Amino acid sequence: MSDRDDSVPLPHPDGPLSGYRILDLADEKGQLCARLLGELGADVIKVEPRTGDRTRSNGPFFRDEEGRESSLYWWAMNAGKRSVTCELRSEAGRDLFHRLVAGADAVIETSAPGTAKDSGADPRTLAKVNRSAVVVSITNYGQTGPARNLPATDIVGSATGGHMYLNGTKERGPVRTAAPQAYAQVNLQAAVGTAIALYARGANGGLGQHVDVSMQESMANAMDNAQQTWDILQINNRGPGSGRMVSGREGPRYIYEAADGWVAALGMGGLVGPSSGAMIDWLDETGEAGPLTSPHWRERLAVVQPLEEDEQKLLVGIMERFCRTRRKDDLVREAQARNAGWAPVYSPREIVENDQLAARDYWVQVRHEDIGETFVYPGAPWKLSSTPWRQRGRAPHLGEHNEDVYGDLLGLEPGEVAKLRRTMVI
Amino acid sequence: MTSNGRNGKPKPFEGLRVTDLSWVGVGPTVAKYLGDHGAEVIRVESATRMEGLRRAGPFTNNEPHYDNSGYYANFNSSKLGITINLKTDKGKALLKRLVAVSDVVTESFTPGSLKKLGLDYEELRKVRPDLVMISMPLFGQTGPWAHYMGYGHVLQAASGFNHLTGWPDGEPIGTGIAYTDFLVPHVGALALVAALDYRRRTGQGQYIDFSQFEGAIHALGPAILEWTANGREAERLGNRDPEAAPHGAYRCKDGRYVVIACFTEQDWEGFRAAIGRPDWTDLERMRRKWSRLDEQKEIDRHIDFWCRERTAAQAFKAMRDHGVPSGIVKSPEEMHRDPQLRHRGHYAALEHPTMGVRTYDSPAFRLSKTPGGPTKAAPLLGEDTERVLKGTLGLSDDEFTELLVEGVLE
Repeated sequence: MSDRDDSVPLPHPDGPLSGYRILDLADEKGQLCARLLGELGADVIKVEPRTGDRTRSNGPFFRDEEGRESSLYWWAMNAGKRSVTCELRSEAGRDLFHRLVAGADAVIETSAPGTAKDSGADPRTLAKVNRSAVVVSITNYGQTGPARNLPATDIVGSATGGHMYLNGTKERGPVRTAAPQAYAQVNLQAAVGTAIALYARGANGGLGQHVDVSMQESMANAMDNAQQTWDILQINNRGPGSGRMVSGREGPRYIYEAADGWVAALGMGGLVGPSSGAMIDWLDETGEAGPLTSPHWRERLAVVQPLEEDEQKLLVGIMERFCRTRRKDDLVREAQARNAGWAPVYSPREIVENDQLAARDYWVQVRHEDIGETFVYPGAPWKLSSTPWRQRGRAPHLGEHNEDVYGDLLGLEPGEVAKLRRTMVI
Repeated sequence: MTSNGRNGKPKPFEGLRVTDLSWVGVGPTVAKYLGDHGAEVIRVESATRMEGLRRAGPFTNNEPHYDNSGYYANFNSSKLGITINLKTDKGKALLKRLVAVSDVVTESFTPGSLKKLGLDYEELRKVRPDLVMISMPLFGQTGPWAHYMGYGHVLQAASGFNHLTGWPDGEPIGTGIAYTDFLVPHVGALALVAALDYRRRTGQGQYIDFSQFEGAIHALGPAILEWTANGREAERLGNRDPEAAPHGAYRCKDGRYVVIACFTEQDWEGFRAAIGRPDWTDLERMRRKWSRLDEQKEIDRHIDFWCRERTAAQAFKAMRDHGVPSGIVKSPEEMHRDPQLRHRGHYAALEHPTMGVRTYDSPAFRLSKTPGGPTKAAPLLGEDTERVLKGTLGLSDDEFTELLVEGVLE
């Protein structure tokens, strides 16, 4: 798994997007998008102000030591990119940036609508510089509409995108997932939009275009069937806690406490529906089936149908008692052997220690030669048979690739690069 | 669906044909991306083994029927629908004929299912050498969990989302939905479109083994590194954020919730102004973010009190007028009425033969020159079987009738 090549980023000539160059001006809404495109082969250049990108100060930090190069957020979102500094507030900086744009296939930016012009990164200006470049603008609400100028962060996107309404409990109200999902969603959906726009150049005479991405809309797409439930039945699904809500009806809980944590067992662990017979047998084998072995219950549970409240209570009680005395991985293995779709509730540590991921050789070791250590990072989201995914190494230091990019790529003389540095352009 | 899109603008995937063998949430959503952007997507189903979502609500008029499910419909806009019984030899042969004239195959069966039918990638590439095929079960094609079954509700458990959702003093709760079903399709679609782009430039197809589990982990942010590099586990935080104060969802007079997030000192100053600069905000320990972070309980108490006297709209307006990141937690009903989403045309209204005009989700992005979006309501079960088999595959009337009578098209 380890890679002996020390260059940062690691080369990736075999990716499906190899040969493309992408300029990344993005904040939290677009850095993962750019990273994934890089891991598919694109050369991703992170363009930062001389003081460093703002997100370099996002926690958590390696060993809790705050610093420009120690943000784990930065590491996770910018791994495998190159970094150049460029002051877009100065005319010389914008000129330099436009020279990069001239050789780029896509620019990913996240400035508030109407403000990209100030940094020379608006679609109209960029189209003049490079007609084949795709310009991806990722914003809170999109480029147009009454809310376009409202400030937002992840929790705001989760709220105005409707997802928080479904995520929570009756007693305590809506809740956000602690790993920011409005940011994750908009990054991933923007990546699809970018890839489609790159593909579209083939159908569009080689021309680039503007991709206008909305964080609110990306979350609106994550409402399960609540959108249609309102449209069709005029019912608002809402936060069912550890249960599930379908078509306005709250189902019983499906997350149960095990001896060593929690398990997720949908449909009361398969006690309702086609697998119910096998599940009742299991409970019966351990003497914990209670009344469920009767012909009445076997018949009643074999078909998915609404249960009365006292019936639900009985089944949930049986499930709770059954799970509480057993380890979650054992429960899941046995349930799956009986064709019931259970899974353990895993923490990050348990994900890293999971057998399935180990068997698929999922994790990658990433060398941080600068601090003399190697860390485990998430691995290939897909195995592509001809054009593999590749982790490209650690995140770049601030301006680490100024010489490579401005010298080798743009062909500036060392004296010119020195002058850019002296005049505080880079 | 081969006609040009809005305003006669070209669609990116015009001319591509997709055989969509997938079902339930993830696979159909991946194929929907292609259909919404101009590909001819042919959803292959069978009445002998009905797609689960056709049996899941909400149903129009509350009448459970396989052609009435809003759940199914939303994932299958811009597609044709045909039925083939793949358990029959003639059905298998028919599918191969369809794949031979297709560019893409999407599927999400339990690993091994297609191989048993003789319809796995190795077989299908024989009839279509430059095929791009993506398989997307929960846990991938190999490994001890490859055969594990389940839905997004339980995959979100394995991939950390339940662990990270809820309050620090409480149990893990669901995200309320089959969350990964609405996350991993984007991951899968990215690889598929990238592979298509590669094929466009080189002529080479390929096979994509996509594990939903492995994709979902990339949405956990730095939580994995916090464990592998720092040896510390990310935990449930309620609505707090380790780097913002105040940060939360607050209940207002009308029972609705407003969220407020102050990451910067500028946000905080705006927040102070929005609530009229009460004395508590001027206390020494409130002046800097690093000390405010320790006072979240007290801050939340003050905001709860402030919000209790205002409607969510009033609280939000005060924040908005002072530039504070804020928003109202919107219900599905409010989402449908939201002026911003309306302006964006996010919910496409499409007429369905039995369900009437219903709303469909649009992509979160707008392409300026080759715009996409849902163009056609979901297909009835087998709605296009005759058209595709006769039109696309060139079956004669007699051949079609024979297959029909023999039950191959069930």
